[in-house]
Amino acid sequence: MAVGGLLVVAVFVVVAIFAPWLAPYGAGATDFNSLLAHPSSKHLLGTDELGRDVLSRVFWGARASMQVGFLSTMLAMVIAVPVGMVAGYYRGWVDTVIARLTDVLLAFPFLILAVGLAAILGPSLLNATLALGVGAVPGFVRIARGEMLALREEDYVPAAIVNGANDATIIFRHILPNMTSTLLVQATVTIPGAIVGEAVLSFLGLGVQPPTPSWGVMLQDAQSYLAQAPRLAIFPGLAIVFAALAFNVLGDGLRDVLDPRTTR
Amino acid sequence: MTPPLLEVEDLSVRFDTDDGFVHAVDRLSFTLDTGEVLGIVGESGCGKSVTSMALVRLLPETAVVGGRVLFDGVDLLGLSSRRLRQVRGRQISYVFQEPMTSLNPVFTVGYQIGEVLRRHLGLSRAAARDRALELLRLVRIPAPERRLDDYPHQLSGGMRQRVMIAMALACDPKVLVADEPTTALDVTIQAGILDLMRDIRERLGTAIILITHNLGVVADVADRVLVMYAGRKAEESGVDDLFAHPQHPYTIGLLGAIPRPYEGEGARRRLQEIPGRVPSLRVLPTACAFADRCSRADELSRTQVPELREVRPRHFVACFHPGET
Repeated sequence: MAVGGLLVVAVFVVVAIFAPWLAPYGAGATDFNSLLAHPSSKHLLGTDELGRDVLSRVFWGARASMQVGFLSTMLAMVIAVPVGMVAGYYRGWVDTVIARLTDVLLAFPFLILAVGLAAILGPSLLNATLALGVGAVPGFVRIARGEMLALREEDYVPAAIVNGANDATIIFRHILPNMTSTLLVQATVTIPGAIVGEAVLSFLGLGVQPPTPSWGVMLQDAQSYLAQAPRLAIFPGLAIVFAALAFNVLGDGLRDVLDPRTTR
Repeated sequence: MTPPLLEVEDLSVRFDTDDGFVHAVDRLSFTLDTGEVLGIVGESGCGKSVTSMALVRLLPETAVVGGRVLFDGVDLLGLSSRRLRQVRGRQISYVFQEPMTSLNPVFTVGYQIGEVLRRHLGLSRAAARDRALELLRLVRIPAPERRLDDYPHQLSGGMRQRVMIAMALACDPKVLVADEPTTALDVTIQAGILDLMRDIRERLGTAIILITHNLGVVADVADRVLVMYAGRKAEESGVDDLFAHPQHPYTIGLLGAIPRPYEGEGARRRLQEIPGRVPSLRVLPTACAFADRCSRADELSRTQVPELREVRPRHFVACFHPGET
């Protein structure tokens, strides 16, 4: 299962990176001789109302999804992990404030938070990434803090202290590597959330702006032609489902492999 | 006479808990000379580990530490944390009881030893690796070239303790504090580690503070012994004099509790236990802390705290009724 998830994820990543070479047509290339065409050997998944090849646009759309998925998760980690670790290591009132703030933010639904932020920042791919990244921060803070609370009690921490290590060395050199597996699992859960989030924001017009392709934009465009050509919505929809599912399956698999408490 | 390397003066440690203070160590003084092995003995909760941790300020913030710890004339208790970090691992090293968990599981042992060297001596990666190899050889780990790139989980407990000792010795410290270094190990492995300790003292001239509850370990390695009871010093003397002429009834009790199955005729005697329990450390004592468990206790013992007296040359006892029997 996990290997399958990894394979599908790899396919999506490869498609996203190599879209210009893999896609049979350009992202905006129109073919006015075949508008809303059915799938054929020329257009494997048919064309949309402007004669644009659907398969090509799904390929190009993977770029926006993967970019937002990975970048926003990385952004969240860069902000949240140091904050959570420092809070967990030093405890005290700073920790109390951070922990309660995280709880409050976690009480907001992730997408509502992201939609609100994206609305404030204005529509663009970059802002969608920022909004989804910030939206994922509380989850990572909680994970990093929880791990820190457990790991700071390990015997190698005082062992590092007596060897003259300073706090920064202990936190980032000694403890951080011990929580990478947990963070990796959390990342594989956050990425599909961000992919779906990008689709939602783009669908609502808060993310990628047409004519740039994105799965969310394609769904939005397909709305008007739902009765005549439902495949315009089905194909990008399937892409979203498969991408999200693959990451989740991969995450579950990683959790089983990396978490010493479950097996081994 | 040269001043001692380490001089502990009136060290007191109390823990501020929800139920009030716990007086873990009460006005403890001792000295350690260059190249000397000092054994600190006592049962669980007598304050021996707390003492050792107080030396390098490892105690949590709930601990209130008083007194002075002079190392080369500098009071470690008053040092800035920056200066303190330069002492830890460089001048004074520490070996913990738990070799199984004291190494970081995600780094190779060579890297972990090298890290200390790079931090304190500023060695390059390659130089640190060479020196780490040398250290593994010093602590007599077989096939050190291969062990260098092993992760801690690939090593046995005894090997890991040797790695911990190698790490502690990395910067050629003047003092090595070993807190129950053999307690978590098999008896055969224990002997090897103690042997190594002796060897280190002889070859490197490192002074060692050996914390243990095992008088046998002390007899093996130490030059001088400090017996602790309820956070105070009960008896202190050279190791030979302590075993030949124990003065404090508590020390005599401890010696009676050592199993000696092969000692001469009719040696199949019952082990002597010390009756009663360690007193609470919540209130400062107004009597001898051992009085309730002692057959020699009298009115004096129950109303006054005995002070330390020199009853034999360099043999100190805190008891109103010292004597060998």
